[in-house]
Amino acid sequence: MDQPALMNMSGIGKSFGGVPVLANVAFAAETGKVVALLGANGAGKSTLMKILSGNYSRDAGTILVDGQPVEIKTPAEAIALGIRMLPQELSIFPDLTVAENIMLAALPVNGGPVKTLDRKRMESDAAALLKRLGLDWLSPRVRMGTLSHHVQRIVEIARAMVGNARILIMDEPTAALAEAEVQLLFSIIRRLKAEGVAVVYISHYLKEVFGISDSIAVLRDGRNAGTFVTANTDVDAVLEAIIGNRMGDIYPAFAANSDHADIVGVTGLTVPGWLRGVDFTVRRGQITGMHGLVGSGVEMVGRALFGAVPRTSASSAQIEGRPYAIRNPGAAVAAGIGLVAAERKREGIISMLSLRENMSLANLPRFTDGLIVNRGREIATTGEWIKRLAIRARDSEQAIGTLSGGNQQKVCLARWLLGDLKVLILEEPTRGVDVGARQEIYRQIRGLADQGLGILLISSDAEEVAGLADRTVVLAGGRVTETYERPTDAAHLMSAASKSAAA
Amino acid sequence: MTETKSAAAVGAVGSNSRNARNLLAKPWAGTVMLLIFYLVIIAIFTVLSPFFLTFQNLLSVGSNMSFIGLMAAAGTPLIIAGGLDLSVAAVAGLSGVVVAMGVSVGIDIWISCILALIVGGGVGLGNGALTNGLKLNPFIVTLGTMSIISGLSLVMTGGLTSPLLIDSFNWLGSGRILGVPFPLIFMLIVFAVIWWVLNFTPFGRYVYASGGNPDASRMLGIPVDRTQIILYGVSGVAGALAGIFVAAMLGAAAPNAVGQHLLTVIAAIILGGTSLFGGRGSVWGTLLAVLILGTLNNGLTLLNVSSFWQDVTKGAVLLLAVGLDQLRVRAQN
Repeated sequence: MDQPALMNMSGIGKSFGGVPVLANVAFAAETGKVVALLGANGAGKSTLMKILSGNYSRDAGTILVDGQPVEIKTPAEAIALGIRMLPQELSIFPDLTVAENIMLAALPVNGGPVKTLDRKRMESDAAALLKRLGLDWLSPRVRMGTLSHHVQRIVEIARAMVGNARILIMDEPTAALAEAEVQLLFSIIRRLKAEGVAVVYISHYLKEVFGISDSIAVLRDGRNAGTFVTANTDVDAVLEAIIGNRMGDIYPAFAANSDHADIVGVTGLTVPGWLRGVDFTVRRGQITGMHGLVGSGVEMVGRALFGAVPRTSASSAQIEGRPYAIRNPGAAVAAGIGLVAAERKREGIISMLSLRENMSLANLPRFTDGLIVNRGREIATTGEWIKRLAIRARDSEQAIGTLSGGNQQKVCLARWLLGDLKVLILEEPTRGVDVGARQEIYRQIRGLADQGLGILLISSDAEEVAGLADRTVVLAGGRVTETYERPTDAAHLMSAASKSAAA
Repeated sequence: MTETKSAAAVGAVGSNSRNARNLLAKPWAGTVMLLIFYLVIIAIFTVLSPFFLTFQNLLSVGSNMSFIGLMAAAGTPLIIAGGLDLSVAAVAGLSGVVVAMGVSVGIDIWISCILALIVGGGVGLGNGALTNGLKLNPFIVTLGTMSIISGLSLVMTGGLTSPLLIDSFNWLGSGRILGVPFPLIFMLIVFAVIWWVLNFTPFGRYVYASGGNPDASRMLGIPVDRTQIILYGVSGVAGALAGIFVAAMLGAAAPNAVGQHLLTVIAAIILGGTSLFGGRGSVWGTLLAVLILGTLNNGLTLLNVSSFWQDVTKGAVLLLAVGLDQLRVRAQN
């Protein structure tokens, strides 16, 4: 306590377009310690770390390194201070060697008038770094692309350690790793600790957090929600801090009765590398939640059923008791399934086309008389849905790319409701959607269920699933680990999703 | 008094520039800009050359450009849908060769033409199968087939031009209906049909959707691959038609008569406002661009400007048009 912390952030504030994302946040990292940074999606973890690593500027607050105030305006300045961030997604050069990947930012050169690459020193420096991390077995001359995913991850860590690295930020480092690979990662983190490196560890997997961290800091809605010494606390206390007690308001009531018929029945749904034989049902008039952490396979379930994932297989699949063959999205649409994709920009909207054209696209045959699309009917129907869903747009001819995220999402929802829909799959329906539009979308989803649709709600946001789903299937490691036939709370869902992840 | 006047003037200037931006943002603004450009060059050539603004000369521009127009008309929906066909002009060359060879072995001229159309369509479908089935880049695939086909045409003929002097066949190239050259009429009909398909049929909507966002289109159950393969086939047939018209016009099948015009075809499509990235474009823009490029050639020839300079002009016009189009797209966003 006498010595100042290696890095200390206090009073940090940040807003985007007038919306506060962080308010008066404090966070510290100490030499030779692992601090876990936890919080629900959108709690502000990534924003805080982007401020620390120089990717965002802060609106308020101070950052001290070694007790001295510092300004971190660019990633280069953060790197000079010894702050390194491992991104969530791999960023490697598959066609370069391991040594080149590690040393890329600090390539050693031979002296003389023409600076040429000193290959020998590059490889020996890289080998020395790998040895420091306990990876003597990895040759620096191997081409990066030939290595498996988790080894590439570890080479990225080696790259981050080049030069004077003092603080290492790891954002979900284990998202796609198997248990043995996680243990290898942990052994590396322990070596770094022993060398005096401060590690900031961001993860949703509480079991891992309790296995590796010395302390835990929790953010909720852009504010500090608790700090814990890992040895003196338990999972429940941390979960409570993550979730808080602000349930209710924005979610509609659950389905009145629960004696609904199955509308979809799937057994043995398999996607190599993602799903290992998943069984589930979706019921008419209900919202069936499907929850899991990133990498659990939950992101693949809906699109696999929809026929949008190559090499999908299933032991059996039925819709309203009739066999349904998983082939392609066209067949799924014909069978009465609709899907609203998580990546709206990439897979949802066609941004240069108008609202009307986006809305009618999946059901164009309905608007076709003979050979010709009946534009009058299209405009009338689009106008009706603009009114019904309160979509904020000039008219049906506005390009959809110019609408806000929430309004685009309403169009993506409405386009399926024009047809004879039986099942609607929603992937992360409120990602990147503000709270006001969120409430409206939740209300609409419940309304659709009440009209007799079967809804499959796929979400990595436990709170959303808890607030909306009448029944819930939890996935981890590509399998179903838990099925709740009644509404349940976020704490149960989160512990079910995280405790069994490594099993 | 003077102050209020100047304030009003400032206000008027402000609203004028806002109006200009609103006009630029209209979807048809690009086509209108091309039309104005077309009228401007017509006016310039009319002033500079007494031979330019005659009914006969204008018709001959249209007629001379008709084979390029055919290829550009079919290439437009293909590029809108996210494809590209560099082999179309080579297919035109091959098609003339097929007709000539058919006739030389005693096959009826019209049956030979049908054979040429089948060959052209087949090459197009092959391009489609390679790009969509094997997920190969269309630039590479059609560059490859372009080279194969133009090479084959030379192999089949030994590089020689073979005469095709059959009156009924040559009428295709030089005949007139009510004084209007038949190739021009045919080209305009093709443009009208493609416009109708793009604007009024579900298939047309799928063309724009497939090019605008193929991933999203697939997630809506739209047959993106089938749409593109059909368009490659149409492009091949259009190439074959262009080859037949050129052979009819020349009264001979020359294996490399059309190949050099590939860049004009692509330039016309881009100049017409079609995005090389897909999702955006119209055939009327392409038609205007074809006429502009033809008129530039014709006018400069009448003014005795060297054909070397004509290439320079064509390139400059293309760059200018693409630059203006970028400004327009930014005004929309």
